[in-house]
Amino acid sequence: MPFAGIDIGSTMTKVVIVDENETTLASVIGPTGVEHRHLALEVMDEAIGRSGLSYEALDFIVATGYGRMNVPFADKQITEITCHARGIRAIFPTVRIIIDIGGQDSKGIKIDAAGKVANFVMNDKCAAGTGRFLEVIAETLGVKLADMGDVSLAAKGYVKISNTCTVFAEHEVTSRLAEGATIPEIVAGLHESIAGRVVNMVRHLGIEKDVVVTGGGAKDVGLIKAIEEKVGFTVRIPPEPFITGALGAALLGKGFVERGITRDHERRLEGVTFFR
Amino acid sequence: MTDHPKYYAGVDVGSVSIKAVLIGADRIMASEMMASGGNYRDAAQKVLEGVLSKAGVAADRLSGIVVTGLGAESVPFAARQVSDISCQTMGCHCLFPSARTVIDIGGQFTKAAKISPQGRVADFLMSEKCATGSGRFLQVIARILQVSLEEIGPLSLKSRNPVEFSTNCAVFAESETVSRIAEGARAEDILAGVHRAMASKVAMLLKRLKIEPDVVLTGGGGQDEGLVLAVSDALGVKVLVPEQPRLSAAFGAACLAKGGKF
Repeated sequence: MPFAGIDIGSTMTKVVIVDENETTLASVIGPTGVEHRHLALEVMDEAIGRSGLSYEALDFIVATGYGRMNVPFADKQITEITCHARGIRAIFPTVRIIIDIGGQDSKGIKIDAAGKVANFVMNDKCAAGTGRFLEVIAETLGVKLADMGDVSLAAKGYVKISNTCTVFAEHEVTSRLAEGATIPEIVAGLHESIAGRVVNMVRHLGIEKDVVVTGGGAKDVGLIKAIEEKVGFTVRIPPEPFITGALGAALLGKGFVERGITRDHERRLEGVTFFR
Repeated sequence: MTDHPKYYAGVDVGSVSIKAVLIGADRIMASEMMASGGNYRDAAQKVLEGVLSKAGVAADRLSGIVVTGLGAESVPFAARQVSDISCQTMGCHCLFPSARTVIDIGGQFTKAAKISPQGRVADFLMSEKCATGSGRFLQVIARILQVSLEEIGPLSLKSRNPVEFSTNCAVFAESETVSRIAEGARAEDILAGVHRAMASKVAMLLKRLKIEPDVVLTGGGGQDEGLVLAVSDALGVKVLVPEQPRLSAAFGAACLAKGGKF
């Protein structure tokens, strides 16, 4: 019995398909697309193709993430908070705090000993402390986003970036460069700043071991190092930090079928369009 | 010996532009504004010389100079330094004696001050944490729309259906603008939406200050009719704007050089 989870984020769409033993049959990550959000559908098609299945063969499809509404082929919509918690429970059962750094938001989720969501905090109001901040500044610095981590680790020290606002920080970075600061020092300063902001937000939940970092931010070793310095211990990183929400969504679908919970609505595959 | 008329100058050394205003016994003699261009020293000297030559006044006839602004320390001539907010407050007081609140919307910062009946600063707040309440937000959006800063105000006033942004963050609004353009939104509606978002942020800042009328809007923001209207709507009061909203701090500096009067 296969189950699918689709996590439509602001930047990336993630699909995971698992079988009844919770073994992953397919896992695909692709861009959501800014103006062409139908790319999310292509990610789903790709995952179904790789698993050798069809839409009809999937026993349950759960959609999550910022674009979870209006997914016509999904059987249920579940918030990403619940899905992340479920996905992490499968990967790291001892984790109590999830720090998720996504493209347009960052969140902290507290999980109790039973694996349930106890509390969460979220910033989606402002680009500070999100992947977007890094993306904008990386472009200003002419550094590839994927290289930011290594660049940061090469720094001997860091330049303090005092602006939290992305727009102002961009300006500040340009001034620091003009004053002779090196790119690695600036990138390390940015990581220090984002880590400070995110960890301060998550402190409201009470930080407990273990802590996992997920989302695109987890791919940035410089950011991880800065977060570890703030929390005072090593954090866990899933082998594939993007897909924990989609994995959780698929596993929640499996749970629904096992408990005899039925679909919220009929699946529709004709004329599928997102965000309309 | 006849009494020579006395002249006073105010110089506002800002990060973007440098302004000078020269006043006489009872009128503004001349004003000058130029881009700072990274050299405060030379630019400050030039604007001061500019107002003096426009008015035909010799430098040794100046009875007092007050400098203000970010680069006030780098001026090459002898002058008294006063904070920009004190100058702004005094400038508004001399232009509009009924003014009790001033909002200065500049490129990077938005400042607000309460004005005492004597033209002194009664209270003061500044927003420097978030670009949404500042002119920077408009610059970012205007760049995407390929609209010059001068065109923003008149265009915004044409809007019949302002875009409602789902976010109050300038960075997120930037990407939202791109999507809205793709969906066919008109430039005037996007600009009017930005003006509303800025005005609501400014109104939030002012709530802490407990504004009293009359309210004066200065800085580059004062030149933007669309923003003036949005701020006036958000505050629910009529907003006064000086004829030259970017010169009011330099004018206030000149008034302070004269002893706090015009």
